[in-house]
Amino acid sequence: MRAYTTARWIVLAVIGIMVTLLPELSPTYVSSSIALPTLTTGLCAISLTFLSTYGGLVSLAQTGLFGVAGLLAASLAVESHVDPALAGLIGIAAAATAGLLFGALASSSTGTYFLMITLALGEISYYLFSAVPAFGLHEGINAVFPPSWLGDPVRHPTAIYYFILLVAVGFHLLLRYLVRTPFGMALQGVRDDPERMTALGYNVRVHRTLAFALAAAIAGTAGVLAAWTNTRISADSISLGVTIGVLEAAVIGGMYSLEGAWIGAFTLTVLSIYGPAFTDRYATVLGILFLAIVLVSPGGLTGVLTSIDRRVRHALSNQQLPALADRGASEQPRG
Amino acid sequence: MNESIVRLRNLSKSFAGVDAVQAVEMEVTPGERRAVLGPNGAGKTTLFNLIAGAERPTAGAIELFGRDVTNLPAWQRARLGLARTFQTSRVLPGLSVEDNLYVAALGADGGHLRFVANRRDARLRSRARGAAERVGLADRLRSSARDLSHGEQRQLELGIAMVAEPRLLLLDEPAAGLSRAERQLLTQLLLSLDRDVTVMLIEHDMDVALTIAERVTIMHYGRVVLEGTPAEIRADQRVHDIYLGRTYAV
Ligand SMILES: Nc1ncnc2c1ncn2[C@@H]1O[C@H](COP(=O)(O)OP(=O)(O)OP(=O)(O)O)[C@@H](O)[C@H]1O
Ligand SMILES: [Mg+2]
Repeated sequence: MRAYTTARWIVLAVIGIMVTLLPELSPTYVSSSIALPTLTTGLCAISLTFLSTYGGLVSLAQTGLFGVAGLLAASLAVESHVDPALAGLIGIAAAATAGLLFGALASSSTGTYFLMITLALGEISYYLFSAVPAFGLHEGINAVFPPSWLGDPVRHPTAIYYFILLVAVGFHLLLRYLVRTPFGMALQGVRDDPERMTALGYNVRVHRTLAFALAAAIAGTAGVLAAWTNTRISADSISLGVTIGVLEAAVIGGMYSLEGAWIGAFTLTVLSIYGPAFTDRYATVLGILFLAIVLVSPGGLTGVLTSIDRRVRHALSNQQLPALADRGASEQPRG
Repeated sequence: MNESIVRLRNLSKSFAGVDAVQAVEMEVTPGERRAVLGPNGAGKTTLFNLIAGAERPTAGAIELFGRDVTNLPAWQRARLGLARTFQTSRVLPGLSVEDNLYVAALGADGGHLRFVANRRDARLRSRARGAAERVGLADRLRSSARDLSHGEQRQLELGIAMVAEPRLLLLDEPAAGLSRAERQLLTQLLLSLDRDVTVMLIEHDMDVALTIAERVTIMHYGRVVLEGTPAEIRADQRVHDIYLGRTYAV
């Protein structure tokens, strides 16, 4: 048992070190083509996972909000020559505001209705952006660059990698903190039984709307960062296909925990890069993989990992029967 | 103070084709223990839903604590000091017992849009643990509500309503599905409630209901057919005809 726990820590530490030292350990290509998309997709996915896991709300509007921030920031920076950092912040604020509005519209429903309303909102964003010349129509906005202190995101992605890693870790920790605050505890109550919460004095709609706006700010941040790392963004960056991709990332990673968003985004990014080289039926294979994961483990890859972990611990602890039997007995009295 | 805690005037609720509650007039005074009895489908739960704001009346008016709340949403009525239990337990399955009680206390406290836990939360948590103790769940604080037995869920349901320290407590069949021993504990608990709390109780178990209640309202087909003391109710032939006779025979 001790050895296993240690081994587990070592694996986690190795992953941590690899993530931390990635630009030193790997060619530029890995940072720019795998790491950066993983982080920006993961950030968008975690906004979805957060809403779903802690608010019981599965939203298809996250890429729409990603686009609100990304396109607005890109347009301000490129067309209006606003400082990119400021343009980014304005974009994120706009996404949060749109999130308040979307949230207010969608928050009286749940389940399929919520899914449909958010899908409609996402689609409206897409069609709106693809019709407005200021946002570059379908060609999009090119030559979008991050603030100069982040360097060239394509040829020298080290600085921007660390910056986005910091943002990602920051949001992850923020969400983990948030769900234990009074607001977060109440949000989980709203997820479990909105009618019960209403009877306890909670304004369920306001609660959902605020959670939605917060998730919108995170999705918006992902949009700005993605525009910077890709040096371009267009309405097609938020098409239905992308929306589904983010949903797939969240589901493949596992919607029962925030970590799932990163695992799913990484898996999907790697598959989308190397998959097509192995098979020209990439989309079909991905679909089958998706189906398999959903069928085998509703908790996605994270669910698979935790259940393996639990089984190993269980198997190992059975070998130490005496110690555990004692504890089991003292926990027994209630049947 | 002779102001009433609950005053219902000509209160009616119809669902497609069903007059669940019809022209109900009722007054409940501060500190009173009121039982609402009647056969299945009499409209008792609907009456509670109307008082709590979970349903909107088709006609009539509702006053709580001397204030017209007919158009006030349910969550605002809860903030005024109303708490309720549901006929089938409505605990929060994804949260622990302690977190269930904490969230319930937090709702009444009105501070749930805070993003930083502070001293108030420490106080609410200790209140939550106190409530767990009162309803006999002190040793289950860390258990997920989903893992509780039926009886324990009933206990938690009651704790959730009580931890809010309400002025008006609506209990919808709290004894349903409980063992005889559990019923006795429940009766003791309800008898021990502070007199600051007004209690309305729907209960099919006559022993529980008539031990606790000072006044009894009998409903039948959505109407109030009789109101009186437990003794009057026991003696009334109509009540035996529509309800008590059958239940007592069991
Ligand atoms: N949401 C609803 N939609 C349609 N009809 C309803 C609804 N709620 C209650 N009813 C009907 O209203 C009537 C009263 O129901 P209610 O649940 O208030 O009775 P009750 O006295 O609580 O009964 P029980 O003792 O079985 O709990 C019943 O005929 C019921 O079918
Ligand atoms: Mg009922």
